[in-house]
Amino acid sequence: MKKRKIKHSLGLVCLNAVFIIVCFITLVPVLYAFLLSVSDGSSAFAGNLFGSAGHFTLENYKRILTEEPFLLWLKNSVVLSLGTTVLAIGFATTASYAFSRYRFKGRMNILFLLVLLNAFPQILSMFAIFRLFKSFRLLDSNVGLIIVYAGSMCIFSIWNLKGYFDTIPAEIEEASKIDGASDFQMLVRIVLPLARPAIIVTAVMVLIFVWNEYLFATTFLLSGDKYTLAGGLYQLQANDYSRSWSLFTAAAVLVSVPILIIFFCIQKYMVSGLTAGGVKG
Amino acid sequence: MKKIVSSILCGCMAAGLAAGCGEAPGEQQRASLDEGAVSETEKGQESEGIHLKIWHDGDEAIMSTMEKDVNEMLEEEGIRVSFEKKTALTDQLKLYGTDEVNGPDMYFYAHDSLGMLAEMGILAPISDVSDTAALNGELNKMTLEAVEYKDTQYMVPVYFETLLFLYNKGLWEGEVPDSTDELYAYMEAHTDTDAGTYGVVNQHSTAYNVAPFINGFGGFIMDKEGNPGLNQAQTIEAVTYNQKFAALQADGDYNTVTTLFNEGKAAAIIGGPWLVSGIKDAGIDLGIKSLSDFTLPNGKALAPFSGVQGVGVLKQSAESKGDAVEKVLKALASEKVGVDLVVNNNCASANEKVYENSDVAANEMVLNIKKTADTARPMPNIPQMSVMWGPAEAFLAAVNKSNADISAAAEEFQQEAVTAISDIQ
Amino acid sequence: MKNRKNAIPWLYSLPAFLLIGIVIVFPIIYTAYISLTNMNLYHWNDFHLIGLGNYKRALLKADSGFLSAVGVTLVWTAVNMGVQMVVAYFIALGLNAEGLKLNRVYKTLLMFPWAMPAYVSILLWKVCMFNTEFGLLNKVVTALGGVKLNYLSENVPAFLACTVLNLWMALPFMIMMIDGALQSVDISLYESAMMEGAGFWQKTFHITLPCIRPIIAPSAIMTVFTTFKQFDIIYLLTKQKGSLTGATLQTIITYAHENAFVSNNYGLSSAVSILIFGIIILFSVFTNRGLREENS
Repeated sequence: MKKRKIKHSLGLVCLNAVFIIVCFITLVPVLYAFLLSVSDGSSAFAGNLFGSAGHFTLENYKRILTEEPFLLWLKNSVVLSLGTTVLAIGFATTASYAFSRYRFKGRMNILFLLVLLNAFPQILSMFAIFRLFKSFRLLDSNVGLIIVYAGSMCIFSIWNLKGYFDTIPAEIEEASKIDGASDFQMLVRIVLPLARPAIIVTAVMVLIFVWNEYLFATTFLLSGDKYTLAGGLYQLQANDYSRSWSLFTAAAVLVSVPILIIFFCIQKYMVSGLTAGGVKG
Repeated sequence: MKKIVSSILCGCMAAGLAAGCGEAPGEQQRASLDEGAVSETEKGQESEGIHLKIWHDGDEAIMSTMEKDVNEMLEEEGIRVSFEKKTALTDQLKLYGTDEVNGPDMYFYAHDSLGMLAEMGILAPISDVSDTAALNGELNKMTLEAVEYKDTQYMVPVYFETLLFLYNKGLWEGEVPDSTDELYAYMEAHTDTDAGTYGVVNQHSTAYNVAPFINGFGGFIMDKEGNPGLNQAQTIEAVTYNQKFAALQADGDYNTVTTLFNEGKAAAIIGGPWLVSGIKDAGIDLGIKSLSDFTLPNGKALAPFSGVQGVGVLKQSAESKGDAVEKVLKALASEKVGVDLVVNNNCASANEKVYENSDVAANEMVLNIKKTADTARPMPNIPQMSVMWGPAEAFLAAVNKSNADISAAAEEFQQEAVTAISDIQ
Repeated sequence: MKNRKNAIPWLYSLPAFLLIGIVIVFPIIYTAYISLTNMNLYHWNDFHLIGLGNYKRALLKADSGFLSAVGVTLVWTAVNMGVQMVVAYFIALGLNAEGLKLNRVYKTLLMFPWAMPAYVSILLWKVCMFNTEFGLLNKVVTALGGVKLNYLSENVPAFLACTVLNLWMALPFMIMMIDGALQSVDISLYESAMMEGAGFWQKTFHITLPCIRPIIAPSAIMTVFTTFKQFDIIYLLTKQKGSLTGATLQTIITYAHENAFVSNNYGLSSAVSILIFGIIILFSVFTNRGLREENS
């Protein structure tokens, strides 16, 4: 028994080592960017691999936070991504539940049709959506963008959630039906908690999609103070005149940090409700 | 019965969800509407004046010089302009060009996309809003030529740019030579690619940056009628000549060459005035020489493209705000704006009177640009040009980076250009 | 009674369908409509229907370059998906190992590439990794005494560079999906397998993979399409206007972009778009077969 324990902890040490290496490799470009963002000028660039990394400075971060409307963009990003997430997940949950639980005519065909529709490159849709929104006066408005984003992520969310709903045994619901719960109650009280990991994962994906989207944001929003972080940053770097790499990398790091924090925080909720309670119980 | 109830409940849930989710964006809309209302009234209180939006995709510092001057000059008239930055400006103009609610009144950009926008029917001829003879009186001939498309003037030129030979006085050894052959000899002696130090760098696979050679050899990227000239004997000769320079100029990417120069790893760079602010920030003692002071082996001078930056008027505002637009155009063409652009931003004004000013006469940068303008060719502004950059650069990249056979590549990309041009129609 | 019951799933799906209708179906129909018109620079606001002329032109354009673009796209999709699934599976498996206390930290760090906007990541790689002068790769190479390499000037290295970057950007998503799926596998299955003395590979093929397949399938298929229509990476890394790197790698989408979209001929480029859509549908007939089995 003791031998097995030693073997197990030895394995863990190896595994930890492997993960540290994997994480390091993954983060190399980011670390390099970070190094650049805390050095003055772009001296880290021209320097050798191990020397002359420039002087440490937080000047670039300060400049972004004070000279650019960073906090405003942050707020816009938050508003847009939360709005989209609520809308997309709300709609997709009911739809995917229907596709998972009910057997109706055309069910499979519609599901496949959705996949096909999703294959249409979104960049090609821009012009058509522009025309549509122009007539409905939805240009330059958050509502318009939320509709675009939610629509773009809807199919993905439906499929993703449906896949998970399918794994929840119908017996659990039937049991509660016998207890007299209505469809609605059942969905809220039983199915949603069981599908929690899937819903959270899907929601995070929608959130990240909006957070990182810049093409629609810079095309459909017209004033600099309405931009999202990704859009504003895109506008910043797209200019050959004033491109500063240390500034750009600082902004890149700043944009990523909120998402990472969200990631870290939600992880404890991502443990499957299914194995924790449902099937075993 | 139970089923009926449940189905109703389901409907409620869907509707509820819809309503619940709709709430957040709904609130925002209200909020943004409120904001809109507030700023409207603010504007109303400020003055009864007219506000004109000008979209640009350039340097904010240059735009703010113009914005400040124009607003000062037209304050009494109650006209206010604001320069708003738009990335991918031409793409945005395609979409918003006819949008009276969201679109701009004018746009500030280089002249080479003029033909395309004019053909789309979103630009108004300048003569629609102003007497062009009076407006153009003080303006440089070359710039006026550049902003004309199909014998109609669609832009008021404000300043122009050409490529220059920029060198680091602290690094350059001896005199800057007067011929390209000597320049090449200098590069050979002072380039160590392994150590990452270079004599002269250039964006050697960017058509705009190779144009001085192509034009100087008598070749062309595209002629006035819209015929591509990649397989012209002179173009091929120029590209062949440029190839040996390219081999000593790193990968020729914008970021690479500017960083090399700014970090003191390259003694000189062929670049435009837009690089200067970055160079000054890097603390480099900058020397400038006009490209037309370099002679090619055939005895002719290097002949870069010139780009004219000017302001164009969108049709809808020419109709509804013509008077205000005219005043803004006049202000932008004025001597005052010209002088300030030279002094503050090192921009070579299109207004000839500006050069009588003593401050301007002391500006080495601007004088060099002005001098180059004599041999420079305005970039073609016909719509075909918009699809020409792609094949031209693919040709250069194939030759300089992938070691393609020059004549074969010239034919290949000439063909590609012909196809691309026919696709426009 | 029966009718009402049939209506329930439709009621549930209505809001979602409405959104999809606006944002996805309408643009496809509109694009199809524009493809039948002569909308181009010279008829920007006064375009009219001209029939199938644009399709004829689009098909005539489809030369050998197009066929090789189709080939590259298929290889690109296959290579990326294959590597991505295998690597993500093993990383996720590792993250779920018993007793790995730091797994939350690892997971968060591994998600970093995903937390960056795509164009930021691409530019970052282009300048900080692949650049011949300042790229980390060449700095390592020269520090080891090698000669500077150009990673993006020839097609094969450029393909590999794009693949590495795509993996870097796409793996976090896959890891997260598989990680989530692994957690839904019933542990008791493993316990009974252990009793029977099953080894790692047996457990993998008989328990883990069958269990996570239905959960992974949708996101895997979505990823196939995303990979298939990937544009940003290849375009920004090798074809960005003003900084072509010399590689002439073309996928269907970049081919269409270069041959139709830069021309501002919306009629023609819409026809090309619809044809590409057709190709994607053809392509998906094969992937759908897998899905159908999954759902039957």
